[in-house]
Amino acid sequence: MDVSISSANAPLKIEQGWRERLFPNNEWILLIVLAIECAVFGVTGNNFLTAGNFFEITRLSVEIGLLALVMTPIIITGGIDLSVGSMMGLAAVVMGGLWRDAGLPIWLAIIITLAIGLLGGALNAVMITRLKSPPLIVTLGTFSLFRGIAEGLTRGIENYSGFSSSFLFMGQGYVFGVIPTQLFIFVPVIAAVWWWMHRTAFGRSLYAIGFSPEGSRHAGIRVRRRLNIIYCLSGLASSLAAVIYVAHLGQAKSDAGTGYELTAIAAVVLGGASIFGGRGTVLGTVLGLFAIVLLQNGLRLSGQPTEMAGVLTGVLLVVIIMADRLFRRGGLRLTTESVSEEEFEVKNWQIGVLSFVILLAALIVAGTNWMLVRSIRDDHGVSVAPQTQQPKGKKNVIAMMPKAKGDPYFISCRKGAEDAAQELGAELLWDGPTDLDPAKQNEVVEAWITRGVDVIAVSVENKEGISTVLRKARARGIKVVTWDADAEKDARDFFVDQATPQGIGETLTDEAARIMGGKGDFAIITASLSAANQNEWIKYIKQHLAEKYPDMHLVTIQPSDGDRDRAFQETQNVLKVYPNVKLIMGIAAPAVPGIAEAVKQSGRNDVKVTGLSLPNMCKPYIKEGIVDSIVLWNTLDLGYLTVYASNALANGTLKPGDDKVNAGRLKDIQVAGDEVMLGKPFIFNKDNIDQFDF
Amino acid sequence: MAFTVEKYKREISAAAAFAVLLIVVGIAAPSFFEAGNLRDLIVNNAATMLIAVGMTVVILAGEIDISVGSQFAVCSIAAGMLAKTGLPIVFVFLCVLLIGAAMGALNGLLIGSFRLPSIIVTLAMLVIWRDALRWSTEGAWVQDLPMDFQWFGLRQGPGELVIVGVTLVLFVAAAWSMRNMVAGRKVYAVGSDAEAARLAGIDPQAVVFWVFAVMGALVGIAALLNAIRFSAVPGNAGLGLELKAIAAVVVGGTAITGGRGRMVGTLIGVALLGTIGTALTFVGINPFWEKAIQGAIILAALASDVVLGRLGTNGRFDLIGKRTAQN
Repeated sequence: MDVSISSANAPLKIEQGWRERLFPNNEWILLIVLAIECAVFGVTGNNFLTAGNFFEITRLSVEIGLLALVMTPIIITGGIDLSVGSMMGLAAVVMGGLWRDAGLPIWLAIIITLAIGLLGGALNAVMITRLKSPPLIVTLGTFSLFRGIAEGLTRGIENYSGFSSSFLFMGQGYVFGVIPTQLFIFVPVIAAVWWWMHRTAFGRSLYAIGFSPEGSRHAGIRVRRRLNIIYCLSGLASSLAAVIYVAHLGQAKSDAGTGYELTAIAAVVLGGASIFGGRGTVLGTVLGLFAIVLLQNGLRLSGQPTEMAGVLTGVLLVVIIMADRLFRRGGLRLTTESVSEEEFEVKNWQIGVLSFVILLAALIVAGTNWMLVRSIRDDHGVSVAPQTQQPKGKKNVIAMMPKAKGDPYFISCRKGAEDAAQELGAELLWDGPTDLDPAKQNEVVEAWITRGVDVIAVSVENKEGISTVLRKARARGIKVVTWDADAEKDARDFFVDQATPQGIGETLTDEAARIMGGKGDFAIITASLSAANQNEWIKYIKQHLAEKYPDMHLVTIQPSDGDRDRAFQETQNVLKVYPNVKLIMGIAAPAVPGIAEAVKQSGRNDVKVTGLSLPNMCKPYIKEGIVDSIVLWNTLDLGYLTVYASNALANGTLKPGDDKVNAGRLKDIQVAGDEVMLGKPFIFNKDNIDQFDF
Repeated sequence: MAFTVEKYKREISAAAAFAVLLIVVGIAAPSFFEAGNLRDLIVNNAATMLIAVGMTVVILAGEIDISVGSQFAVCSIAAGMLAKTGLPIVFVFLCVLLIGAAMGALNGLLIGSFRLPSIIVTLAMLVIWRDALRWSTEGAWVQDLPMDFQWFGLRQGPGELVIVGVTLVLFVAAAWSMRNMVAGRKVYAVGSDAEAARLAGIDPQAVVFWVFAVMGALVGIAALLNAIRFSAVPGNAGLGLELKAIAAVVVGGTAITGGRGRMVGTLIGVALLGTIGTALTFVGINPFWEKAIQGAIILAALASDVVLGRLGTNGRFDLIGKRTAQN
């Protein structure tokens, strides 16, 4: 068998120069891309070209790197594995459950978790090799299945944390003071996969399978067995990535690794692997991985929006495969991609369409940007206040992070924050995950530490996970403030408290009781099932119900995933399944308008809506009387106050032990211990809604 | 073209699964079959249905499009912004259709003319459109739409009828033309064997281009039909829509390797997957298990292929059947 493989490959080697040998798939293009990235961000980014930043980048790329490494052999055989990210979620909750609920020692939990990963990979393998189903569809099915099981097992709510420090060291610690611990797993894995792919008969046979599965079978390669092994390995590596992810963030939740599969595939394809199989190298994958990660990190250190990284990565992907296609036309042909592909004619009208689309896209982006800027300017005029409070010569850099940039709630916080920054003459950096993603929050804070800012203000998605990085920031002399949701107490200087979970839960319950007259059935539509804040509120709502309103029954809690259309559908279902429901409470900002629209369209005048949302979103429904009232604090003020408190902290005018802080137009704000209190939650209704615009 | 069980066994098995689901729900919660619920189900799944129709054509041509969710978001926001400028709704409709078709044409150009793999091109577009939208709007909703936007300015009842009517007409037109028109047969030919199709005088590049352009136009229509059901447009529409559509097509019996499958199967697939979430709520099963059940259905559909003896014979280890042409 080995003989046949080496002889099959022998003729290909004859005419190779050094470039083909080292970079068989034009991976040198990536070296140029990396060089450009380094040059550009070296100039625009703060502290981009430092050893510390280099090691931070490698730490952040370990999880996706592991997935990309095992994705390489799979893509080389012409397959794909979409289930790796979901497998991470399943592995994370299995590990958390075994360790905390079953009481197993952590090492045993890790071993069983790895075994589960192997089992998941085996399921893919069996479906692909025995049932002969296409890998794309099989792993699409398991993509849904694994994540679903993870959510089902934990009810989406369970969040395992409190791991021992020796375990967390694996994901958060440093060896010799600078080298992240997980590199001691990652580097050997890279070396092992490289050796396995490029220096063993097994690895070579994968290329043969990619070229022609049927031909390889006739050549005596055990195709099925090899495919079984690589898909099992993929499951194993995903669960290993999950273990490192848990150690890195200090928490295990069912949403671990969401979307990682796409980044991993992008890295492999950027690295020159053909999605049709037969070519690709480990070196290429590693370069592709760093091209993506450097881009994200560099943009962050330059204070650019991270969405740009997504757009640029996508463009890079298209450009690289296109360049590859062009370079390949006359060069040494290693692939069997059909001969007829040589001719690619582009007609004039096609160029026309291309130019039209590019122009259109540019217009749309420019147009929306313009409308947005205009709407923001309209919204709150030009508020240039005298810059009196700022000591001369120093401009504080305040880095502020929401839980999710796309959430309308945080968009309105940002407006307030920008007002305050303008008044104070401070520089405001606003960045964070686009959707709820605890791992991204850590990445952004790491980048800010490297960049060197004065204050970091975070709305915390995951307490345990982020506290480690925040402590690190404090150790480097950066002031840390939390707002909206708190971290661990010793990880920050002050917490800007808009309202306690208990206060929110009780106010919501009281509002519901007032509308319903203290008795009857009601339902809750929450954000995602794993949202930490919402689960906390629900806990207090239930507690308050039991204490004060025994005649009110919470009949069901349905998820909306922060998506208005989903909230709409769930409400339709609730109205039919529980016809006695008199009130529906939405506890995520986009959910309430969805609920209100569903109630309106159902024509059920007897059902009222309340909840936690933004005034502007609900204004039409409040005026129509469908939404009775919504509970919220003034989010503009929350952003505004956070920036004022941060600035005062940086200037030394806010110290531990102070009982008040001056906050511009909000006057003096009360400080209790290490918490800055915004005030009580506010109730918006028909009478006062017109006074607010956010 | 006589109807035989043999020929339609894949559609029949999907329909049987759907029937079982309906019977179980019917016994456990008869109120599921109330007219109001059925109407809501149909209206809610109309947009997905249109996307799935387009996806069926794309998959029949041997390609795949995972960028539809992001295109959907771009079209939704565009619809809102255009309506806000006060343009008549018909004009908005045409513009959104054009924007969708343009995005689809870009895919078609890169995949058809430049011969780049569809899964990679559309993966890139998935990220590009979604992030470009977030970059420019920062997630903001389009609010304060004119009164004649919701339901095309009609009342709710007629508005819903328009949505369902348009979907139905497009579905029937697609199903008919895929079977009876030259263009439709060309798609099957290219999906079965692009090289053979080329030798038979078909231009596979042009077919692939138009397939993606049509997909984009359908996304535009779906986005508008979905947007007019509400009085505001959210910034994150269509997340995960591509997977929903692909799953529905596959469950409906269309071969992912191209060249084999029918529109009616897709209809059953959308009905099956679109009903499960609501059915779970009616039966009283925890919503946490919805994703797991959907995954299990996809795997079961694949396994049923084996039971029914409909094994893929060619290019069994291929991703999307690309290499069958060269072997």
